[in-house]
Order: sequence, then structure tokens, then C-alpha cells
Amino acid sequence: MYYLGIDIGSLSCDAVLIDRDEQVRATSVVPTGARNREAIARVTDDVIRSSGITRKEIRATVSTGYGRDRVEDRASAVTEITCHARGIKAVIPETRVLIDIGGQDSKAILLDQNGKVVDFAMNDKCAAGTGRFLEAMARALQVDIDEMSRLDAGAAGTQTISSMCTVFAESEVVSLIAEGAPVKEIVHGLNRAIASRTLSFVKRIAQNLTGIPISMSGGVARNTGVVRALNAALGCTVSVPQLPDTVGALGAALIARERDALGNRA
Amino acid sequence: MKQYFKNLESGLSAAIQNGQSSPRKLYALEIARLGARLYSGVDMVSWCGIYAPFEILNAMGVTSCFVEFIGAMVASTGTVGPMIEETDHIGYSSDACSYHRAVTGAAIKGLMPVPAFLVGSTSPCTGGVAVIENLAAHFKKPLYLLQIPQDFTENNIRYLASQFRDMAAFIKKSTGVVLDNAALTTSVKNSNRARELLLEIYRLAASRPSPVSSKDLANFGIVLSLLFGTEEAVRLAESYRDEFSRRVQAGKSGVPKEKIRLLWIQNRIQFKHPIETMLADEYGAAIVCDELNDVTWDPIDPDDPYEGIARRCLSIPFNGTIENRVKHLQKLAKDYAIDGAINPCNWGCRQGTGARGLIEEGLKKVGVPVLNLEVDCVDSRKFTEGQFRTRIEAFMEMLDQRPSPWSQG
Repeated sequence: MYYLGIDIGSLSCDAVLIDRDEQVRATSVVPTGARNREAIARVTDDVIRSSGITRKEIRATVSTGYGRDRVEDRASAVTEITCHARGIKAVIPETRVLIDIGGQDSKAILLDQNGKVVDFAMNDKCAAGTGRFLEAMARALQVDIDEMSRLDAGAAGTQTISSMCTVFAESEVVSLIAEGAPVKEIVHGLNRAIASRTLSFVKRIAQNLTGIPISMSGGVARNTGVVRALNAALGCTVSVPQLPDTVGALGAALIARERDALGNRA
Repeated sequence: MKQYFKNLESGLSAAIQNGQSSPRKLYALEIARLGARLYSGVDMVSWCGIYAPFEILNAMGVTSCFVEFIGAMVASTGTVGPMIEETDHIGYSSDACSYHRAVTGAAIKGLMPVPAFLVGSTSPCTGGVAVIENLAAHFKKPLYLLQIPQDFTENNIRYLASQFRDMAAFIKKSTGVVLDNAALTTSVKNSNRARELLLEIYRLAASRPSPVSSKDLANFGIVLSLLFGTEEAVRLAESYRDEFSRRVQAGKSGVPKEKIRLLWIQNRIQFKHPIETMLADEYGAAIVCDELNDVTWDPIDPDDPYEGIARRCLSIPFNGTIENRVKHLQKLAKDYAIDGAINPCNWGCRQGTGARGLIEEGLKKVGVPVLNLEVDCVDSRKFTEGQFRTRIEAFMEMLDQRPSPWSQG
């Protein structure tokens, strides 16, 4: 008996398959693209194939992410806030503040000692500091998004990105390129801008961060430059799980398992 | 607009006569009738600020309305876009309040009836004063501006009461209409009766489960103030009181299987949106209380109506410092056993956005979490349903896992 969690984000579609003992049996991450139903089918097929199970053995599916209502055979849809909280509790149990930066949302989530959501803050009406923001900046810098995460190494911190609007920040980056600013300094400035934006969300839910274990999930957590900038802004070391992209999908799978155990599949 | 209100009035009247009556339909009917009078071309009309003394204006036979009502109406009819664009063309900031931009746009487009005079009020916001002053200049009509003091003191009460007397003299001078003392006494008595009924309505609304569905009392308190002094206000309040009494006696909740009790801060979203239905259907969540639905004043002495009305104005927690509002919200949270509060933080409203941190902190102190949205409550073009759904659903999931902050009390 297996449980499937699917996280349909604006940039990536992630799936995690767990067994009844809550052990991860397979994961899959694909770009969501323009047709999210195809991405959903692809990650589902991926985890079924790689785990060697049949579709009928999946007892319940919980979907999450902005496209959560697009998963047709879901038992229920749960928001990414709740799913990321549940997922991080499984992989970094001591977490009390979770930073999740995804494709179009960035959020800070305050958890109690049992991993339940106590409070959260997230961006409104603005993609500044999200995966989309980084994607736009990588495009302006003409570098690969994965490569960008390493490009700030050795930066002295001479450049500041003053605009946190994605469109204006892109113009600012283009201007800095034209002025001959080193790429590593521009990337460093962008990472600090994201960290500053994220810090404001974190402060809204937890004023005193002394001794509070902070973790990070979502695709942007793979960007080591952003994580370094966050460490500096928060004054602590942010823990990043091995597979930060799939924390939401893992949480969804675990919720599917829990709800099934409670006899609540609706 | 004239045709819209006439059609609304006749449609609602027919439905009510066919046995489909409800307090909310009667409320909508009174709005339609007010709109029809405003646009009749016959009634003497006054555009006002929110703190205008409607008992006095109604006693003088003036059809009066605060201008934000028009902003809400054009939002609810889905016609707000062209009004707001009209203000863009003359240089209004897109960060300004959409209630006020919609009203200004409607006036520029010739969709606002020409008033006989205007009565502005410096509370609750300076944006409203600017709109009233602009309308006075646009229509070339006289304006009386009420200076609303911030603190509830005897000196301030006397000062505001003297302004109400001056206002009546100003109306007489501007229009020739004289305030009849007997009419004012009747108006005050009606207002006091409506007040008593409101106390009963809100007491019933606080029952567990609450008889209130999320839409029953939307915009109720603030719009009812337009009818203060009239028999219609009394009849409307009686219908709510009776219906809520029936529901409470039958143990019937406004939202089936009520699970989560919500407090809505400041104004509702005025255009059609799915949030209230979603809250009820998917989470058993009921908006049982609105910040603007409360009685904070004593009965008005019919022998000294000006001071009594001034006392009411200054008692409203939206007037004065933010500490008043926070204390009031804490009281409402306790009275209604609120699980969580939603603050739309109306875009462009300094009252709505400026205080949000202090309100959140104040409600958290009594164990009530707050969801701050960033909604333009009037301009539907800025509404992105998916974003709001995620925030609201996450808030509901969070509340669903928490014990009620009032379960020990």
C-alpha cells in the first residue's frame, strides 16, 4: 500500500511516493511547463516505474501547490504551506521556522514543536525574491540558473540591487552589466536582495530568532549563493534537506498516509 | 444607475411579495430604494462623509449618502473599471483608494446626481475629505466640513454638537429647508429603537453556533447608519432580529456545521468573489463578526439630540487612535469567541494598511491569529483568485489544527 504526494508548482512538478511505513520509495521532479496535466502524468508514471509498483497499489494521493486542483484522482488538495511544514518535520524534525522559496511564492512558516503551522507570512502580488525572480535575473545575465548559484564565489559585496520589483531589478542588472560590473558582484547583490526580502517575512512571524532552528525548502534552496546570503542576513546557519524541491510533495504524501489512517480520505 | 436601482427595487419587491423574503433581501431592497431616491432627480440629495449625522439629514427630508457607497455599488455591479480609468486620465495615483477613485470617476462621467449641498467629515480619512472637496468644486455646490475630534471628551462632544447645529443652519441657508424639532425627536427615537435592535442582533450573532451566514451582515452596520432615524431602519433591524432569534431557538447555524468563527476587519470585498462561499462550503468557516458591526454608543437623548449624536460619533473606535481600534477588536474577538481574523488591508487605504501590524499584534495577544491579505476591495481587476485561495486555505488549515483560544473560558 502506497501514498503519493504531488506538488504542482509554477516552475516544477514534484512527486514523492511513500510506503505505509512512511519510507520514501521514489521521487520525481520535472518542469511544469505550460500543460500541467502532462507534468502530473509524467511524475506519476516516473514514481510508479522507478518503484516497480502498479497504479492500483497507490491507496491515496494528496496534491499541493498552485495547480493542486488539477490532479484529478486526488483524495484531497492541501496548500503548500501545510505540506511543506509536514514535509520538513519528517526530514529536519527540529525545524521551527521554515523558509520556502518556490517559483512564484516565497514564505516563512512558523512551526510548533509538533510540526504544526502556527503562523505564516508570504509575498503578495509581487514575485520579487522568488524562483521566477532568479530566473529573470539569470536570463538578464545570460547564465544558466544552476550555474548562477555558484557565480557569487569570492564576491566582495560591492554591488547592491536596490529595486525589489522583478522588472525594475532586471533593468538594474542590465545597467550594471553595461557599466562593466563583475558578474559575481551582481549575483551577490541579487542574493542579498532575496535574503533581505525573505528576512522581512521571517521577522513577521518570529521577532527573536536566537536559538531558533531554521530550515529551507523549495527549488531555490538548491542555490547555495542564496542560502549563504540568508545565513548572513539571519545570523545563523539555515538547514537545507537533501532534496529541498520535494519537501512539499513529501508532506503531501505523508498527509495522504495520515488521513488514510484516520479514515478521512475526503 | 437610475435604471439599475429601479430594476433592482422592482425585482427584489417582486421576489419578497412572492414569499422569498429574507432579512438580506430586505436589506438589499432598502439599498435599492435609497439608490432610486438618490437618482430620482426629484429628491434633494446630499453627498456626505461617513460621520455625517444621518438622523438630522433624514429628519430634514434630505436623501443623503456617504460617497463610498457609490464606490461599493459600482464595484458590486462590475462597472468599476471605466470609473477608475477616468481618474487615471486626470493624474490620480493608482495607489489611491479605489472607493474614492470610483466615486470621482463616476462624477466625471456624469453618473453622480447633482447634490444640493455636501457634508464632509474629517474622520475616518483625509482621502474622503479630498473627494468631498473635489465633488463640491465639480458640482459647484456648498460644502460643510465637520471637524471630527479624535478623543472622547466632554469638550470635544460639545464642539462636535455645535457643528451639527451649524450644519443645520448651513442647510437652511443653502436650501431653505428648516429642521423641524418634532421631526428630529421622531428621528432620534427611531434611531434609539434601531440601536436597541442592533444590540439584540449582535448578541444573537455571537451565539454558538452563530445564526449568521458569512454574507448576512456584510456591510450591514455602516450602511444601516444611512437609514438612522427612519422607520425603515427599525423594520429592517426587526427582521434581522426575528430571523436570528428563530435560528438560535432552532439551533440552526448560518453556516452548516460551523467549525471556524471568523472576524472580518474593516470593509468587505465589494465585488463578486468566491471567498465567503469557499469559507463556508469547504471549511465550515463563518464570518460571524465584522469590525464595523457594533454598538458603541448610548441611547441619544431626544431632548439633547446634538450632543447624543456627537457622543455616538466619538464613540466609534475607528475614530481616534489605533489603540481604540485594537482594544475594540480584542473585545469583539472575546465576545464572539473568534478563532481567526481576516484583514483585507484594502489597497490604497491608510486605515486598512497602516495599522495592520498593530492590529495583528493586538489580536495575537488574545490568541487570535490574523491573515493579512492585500486586496483592493473595490477594483476587481486586481483580484487574483488563485493567490487569495492559497493564503486563505492555508489559514483555514492552520486554524483547523488549533484549539479555540476561548475553549478554556
